[in-house]
Amino acid sequence: MTAKCKVFAISSPGGHWIQLTRLCAGLEAKHEIVYALPDKLFRPKRAQKIYSVIDVSADDKWKLIPCAFQVGYILLKERPQVILSTGAAPGVVAIVLGKLLRIRTIWVDSIANVQKISRSGELVKNCADVFLTQWEHLSDQQQILFKGSVL
Amino acid sequence: MIFVAVGTQFPFDRLIRCVDEWALAHGVEVVAQIAAGEYLPIHARYERFMTTEAFNQTLKAASLIISHAGMGNIITAIESSKPIIVMNRQYELGEHRNNHQADGLEWMAKLPGVYTAQTCEDLNALLDQHDSLTASGQVGIERRQNLINFLDQAIRA
Repeated sequence: MTAKCKVFAISSPGGHWIQLTRLCAGLEAKHEIVYALPDKLFRPKRAQKIYSVIDVSADDKWKLIPCAFQVGYILLKERPQVILSTGAAPGVVAIVLGKLLRIRTIWVDSIANVQKISRSGELVKNCADVFLTQWEHLSDQQQILFKGSVL
Repeated sequence: MIFVAVGTQFPFDRLIRCVDEWALAHGVEVVAQIAAGEYLPIHARYERFMTTEAFNQTLKAASLIISHAGMGNIITAIESSKPIIVMNRQYELGEHRNNHQADGLEWMAKLPGVYTAQTCEDLNALLDQHDSLTASGQVGIERRQNLINFLDQAIRA
């Protein structure tokens, strides 16, 4: 079990990104990770490969279209085996495109969503190959799995 | 020095004003990251947005972090061994697009080194005893490793 997979990791800036990078920190030694982030304030360090994509949120849905073109381009260029996202809207874009391109998709719902699955999570619940919550009480042990959390 | 940060997505004037007024009355040094807020601090030094580098440097120099109830700042404060007070944005006051920060406040309060406030009064009470607020060590290392191990397997599947 030493084969490395290429993983495309994408999220919104802020808390989603912090969670994503903490999880990926534990995966970087085992897999090749290519990141996408809609945030101009972040400058990558070391050998991280980070694409910049347009920011999109529930308040400016029209940006989904340019964002989808950018993410689609990266997916076609990089050809990852797996897409990993912690949310929110940019993750939805990537998971849906991943489905179309037959790339394996993994969603980790943000730990901030304690009482119910996030709105973006609900959108991809039936689409992602692996769907994880970070709260045991939100898991149904079938479609929604709990396997741990960043905190 | 106290560092108060509201994230990049929305302003949070209620929090910035509260900290600024308390710090003015008590003569405590504050650096504020205020996003697109309308309230401009009269006492605190402030910036609207900070690069990740500047943010991390300010956080390192601070003895206490005050924040909106966002996961990014909570995780960063815990990892930097800084005590953090979080105040939740309220949907009813137009401070966020839903009330998930209020939903999260209860479990956040259970995290060691994380203190919670819902109102400016709560926050003032915590600030009045800010010297006694202590940071946590690391939190949930095993839970994080479990998730990473599962993700590793799921990636290979």
